[in-house]
Amino acid sequence: MLDTLMLPFQFSFMNKAFIIVTLTSIPMAILSCYIVLKGWSLMGDAIAHAVLPGIVIAHLLAIPLAVGAFIAGLCCALTTGYIKENCRIREDTVMGIVFSGMFAVGIILFHQANSELHLTHVLLGDVLGISVSSVIETGMISVFVLLILLIRGRDLMLLIFDPQQAQVLGINVRFWHYGIQVLLALSIVAALQAVGMILSISLLITPGACALLVSKRFGDMVVVSLCVAISCSLLGVYTSFYLDSTPAATIVLLMAVVFCGIFCHKIYADRQAVKNQQEKTLDILSASPQNSATDRDLEKLPLSP
Amino acid sequence: MEYLLEPFGYEYMVNAMFVSALIGVVCAFLSAFLMLRGWSLIADALSHATVPGVAIAYMAGLPFSIGAFVSGGFAAVSILFIKRRSLLKEDVAIGLIFTTFFALGLFLLSLSPSTVDLQRILMGNILAIAPWDALQMVIISIATLLFLTIYWKDLLLVFFDEQQAWMAGISPIKLQILFFACLSAMTLAAMQTVGALLVIAVVVTPGATAYLLSDKFSHIIIISICIGLFSSLLGTYLSYFIDGVTGAIIVCLQTLCFLVAFIFAPKQGLFSHIKRRKEALRSHYA
Repeated sequence: MLDTLMLPFQFSFMNKAFIIVTLTSIPMAILSCYIVLKGWSLMGDAIAHAVLPGIVIAHLLAIPLAVGAFIAGLCCALTTGYIKENCRIREDTVMGIVFSGMFAVGIILFHQANSELHLTHVLLGDVLGISVSSVIETGMISVFVLLILLIRGRDLMLLIFDPQQAQVLGINVRFWHYGIQVLLALSIVAALQAVGMILSISLLITPGACALLVSKRFGDMVVVSLCVAISCSLLGVYTSFYLDSTPAATIVLLMAVVFCGIFCHKIYADRQAVKNQQEKTLDILSASPQNSATDRDLEKLPLSP
Repeated sequence: MEYLLEPFGYEYMVNAMFVSALIGVVCAFLSAFLMLRGWSLIADALSHATVPGVAIAYMAGLPFSIGAFVSGGFAAVSILFIKRRSLLKEDVAIGLIFTTFFALGLFLLSLSPSTVDLQRILMGNILAIAPWDALQMVIISIATLLFLTIYWKDLLLVFFDEQQAWMAGISPIKLQILFFACLSAMTLAAMQTVGALLVIAVVVTPGATAYLLSDKFSHIIIISICIGLFSSLLGTYLSYFIDGVTGAIIVCLQTLCFLVAFIFAPKQGLFSHIKRRKEALRSHYA
């Protein structure tokens, strides 16, 4: 019994998979807190799609895929910013146009190149077939993103909650608007080879959303988000070994289950709180003699907190 | 010359051009409304959310439109529910649900890899569409087109000013639900031509391009339909020669249209913006 449970740890590819999902999920979980608070979910989605032409071109030119992907992601962010500043179309629409256009170019190139790259690998990654060198590459990018977040994280937080105050304090708002997109692009590039596009979009939204439901302070939020992301990633890879399913999709589904659990608990807790409030008010009213409540007064009691 | 006319000699090419043009026109019509409300993310989410439904329908041997419709509807309901019951912003709820549904679809497909062609769901393949599927798409598109041509003025009023619509005796909720049903039906149809990953382009880009070229809503609709029609026709035609993915070529053409409009549009374009800025500076210093 114990042997069967320990089986995944005996394979070196499984151990590498455990390491790489942890490495990718740490910076993404922290970034997801910023994204969820600011309402930038489409941005992660857009950059993740827009890297495709970069990957194909890098493959054709035989330069590291990460470099091509990063340049393409950056192109998407800059083009979106430029178009938005020079015309009257809303930012999310512009983003949709730019990333779908780039993705389409990527698909055409991909089809023409007829390479041994697989589209499913780009979409879902190849967690189990990862090489040591890409583990190191991913680790380096993750550490870099983490360092920047540790050093400038408080500035970014101020930027998100109150951009005007940030500007008054001398933080370059425009620079950091693009700075966040660069960080996003970097962490997506790091994640892409290992876990693919779908999981990186999900890792940039779901942990933060879970954390926002349960915490009231930013520090707590980051901790909760990290816990959710790391535990789901490890457990997802572990379960996919037995289910024989795609690890990336399994991780996304696990995170969704966690979100559902927290969400249902929260609805239940809210209801309980409303009930307690009503009972308390009733108790106070019936206890105080000079304030003898009649039935008609009771009907006027507030039903919502 | 003969070489250029070659695609018209094949029945499957003519059929594909007809179906994709029809779908392109209706999607472009919808895009004019979506752009008004800034609902681009919703179309993207709907197209991704239909994947598990399509996967299950293929596995069970049902018509795939039923599966797609059910899972799309389920996704829409859960987005609304999360948004109403928590502090999460709308885009977070949408992003969360669509990645989850998409992952569910891929998870199901990875459990039984041989039954469905993943590439076909993601990329679409209008050139190899089965006659029965093509018929479904034509019926859906024509029904949506009829609805939109009859009700476009009411819809416009609802989207611009809901209260005014109430006063005029139009029920905004009923129209919005109908509009969403049309939108999800058309995302389904567009999945056949351009695939799940690029549906967002055909329901956003034509409307946005038209918005740069005109200020009047009826003109926006007409321009947007023209862009949808020509890009779909030309894209399908070109894909015969390039031997490429039809959907990606259509989307590329539309993005090209957008870029041209963005740079050269008479009033809203980049050049006229720069010119106006310069004139303002000159008059300021004069």
